[in-house]
Amino acid sequence: MASEHTTTPEAEITKGDITKLAFRSSMLQAGFNYERMQSVGFTTAMQPLLKKIYRDDPEGLKAANKDSLEFINTHPNLVGFLMGLLISLEQKKEDRALIKGLKVALFGPIAGIGDAIFWFTLLPIIAGVCASFAIQGNVLGPLIFFLVYLAVFFMRVGWTHMGYSLGVKAIDKIKDGSTMIAKSATILGVTVIGGLIASYVHINVIASFAIDATHSVGLQKDFFDKVFPNLLPMGYVMLMFYLLKKKQVHPVMLILITFVLSIALSWLGIL
Amino acid sequence: MHEITLMQGLMLAGVAFIFGIDFWLEALFLFRPIIVCTITGAILGDLQIGLITGGLTELAFAGLTPAGGVQPPNPILAGIMTTVIAHSAGVDPKTAIGLGLPFSLLMQYIILFYYSAFSMFMPKVERYVSENNTAGLGRMSLLMTLIVACTYALVVFLCAYSAQGAMQALVKSMPAWLSHGFEVAGGILPAVGFGLLLRVMLKMQYVPYLLAGFLFVCYVQIQNLLPVAVMGAAFALFVYFNSKPESAPAAATEAPKEDYSNGI
Repeated sequence: MASEHTTTPEAEITKGDITKLAFRSSMLQAGFNYERMQSVGFTTAMQPLLKKIYRDDPEGLKAANKDSLEFINTHPNLVGFLMGLLISLEQKKEDRALIKGLKVALFGPIAGIGDAIFWFTLLPIIAGVCASFAIQGNVLGPLIFFLVYLAVFFMRVGWTHMGYSLGVKAIDKIKDGSTMIAKSATILGVTVIGGLIASYVHINVIASFAIDATHSVGLQKDFFDKVFPNLLPMGYVMLMFYLLKKKQVHPVMLILITFVLSIALSWLGIL
Repeated sequence: MHEITLMQGLMLAGVAFIFGIDFWLEALFLFRPIIVCTITGAILGDLQIGLITGGLTELAFAGLTPAGGVQPPNPILAGIMTTVIAHSAGVDPKTAIGLGLPFSLLMQYIILFYYSAFSMFMPKVERYVSENNTAGLGRMSLLMTLIVACTYALVVFLCAYSAQGAMQALVKSMPAWLSHGFEVAGGILPAVGFGLLLRVMLKMQYVPYLLAGFLFVCYVQIQNLLPVAVMGAAFALFVYFNSKPESAPAAATEAPKEDYSNGI
């Protein structure tokens, strides 16, 4: 079966080609739509290299493009890894079923790792730290934020080279380390979220009970702050967590409920 | 109360075009409120208000991520409009977050519409691919991105420049309990974001870390959250180094157990 693929010599792919692929991988979401999600951008990004690999083989190019136009939804920051890996396989003219299978097997886990690291760990930490600077009017906040994400962006070059050079070994690599890395990242993220809840959710009860003509008990100052500061913010976050996780309530619904509740309680003079 | 000039309106539309592309591609994270608000503040000649709304809006949107393919309320419109409202109507930044939210939802729905509508381009893309027309394929990617970017520019221009009179009138006519209500909501909204983050991350085994981070900030006075992040990193490293055998459950389930019993 393999003999018919070996008619043309293997295309030469330089380091520069892979670096270019890394930057082109940023087009992943260019044609995002609900039918195939990121497939248009995914295919567009790999065109120069696929054309180079299949320069004398229009049918081969067509087959490769048809496969890459299948449904894909993965992480923009890490997709270079997958692209590099697939290009190394295309270059060796591996079996189409293997290339297709690897792509389908990997895009989901890569999306999961990417979401865990970039959205659920890095963002809360960087946003939390930088926002605390910005709120004080310090321009370092947005500046640090920008520099961190610029560095994250350029790491795409590294992922892409890694994917390309790992070739078929990649699957084992991913399986080896991913559970522990994801677990450690989650612990870091959850700790910071605990801190974020205490510092940035503000619920301040202004209602107070009059005991007699001169004395009154402020619910916030005399009750909640003494029992446990930030008890209400933590409680409300847990309520949101419960509604989202167990009751599958839509986030936008919770935002609207929070709004209506805030305005109603403000009108009643409680908050 | 400040007027937004035509020039400022055009400049906001221009940066919205760039932010829009960045959010569509998720490239440089310029689309996050902390950057959007700061730039908006700079354009309006009020960097301070931009920094403050940036910090507050960023936190309100911390959990509202497009991870897992769910489109969140739009962070760009939230950032621009919160800053524009805080600057031009002179309201408290927290109140401005609430007033900016409708614009953010509007843009969210436009993007959702595009996600569906762009499916209609797929037959054309497939034809290009079957003809090996790579230039055509590239044009389709560019076309969809440009449609989105132009929409951002247009919506921001209309909301920030053309509708500002109506906005100011609205703010002026608001009773105190209502604007205070918006401020209260601005303070509570991050809870929804954190709830969203925890929905994905929180399992029973991670509750101790959540409580540790929470207690730390409840009782220790800190200027920013870096110390909490360092503490979290310490926990993460501790767990990473102390549960190595767990990392390869499929490959080595036998060996570590034997070692363990021998060691005891």
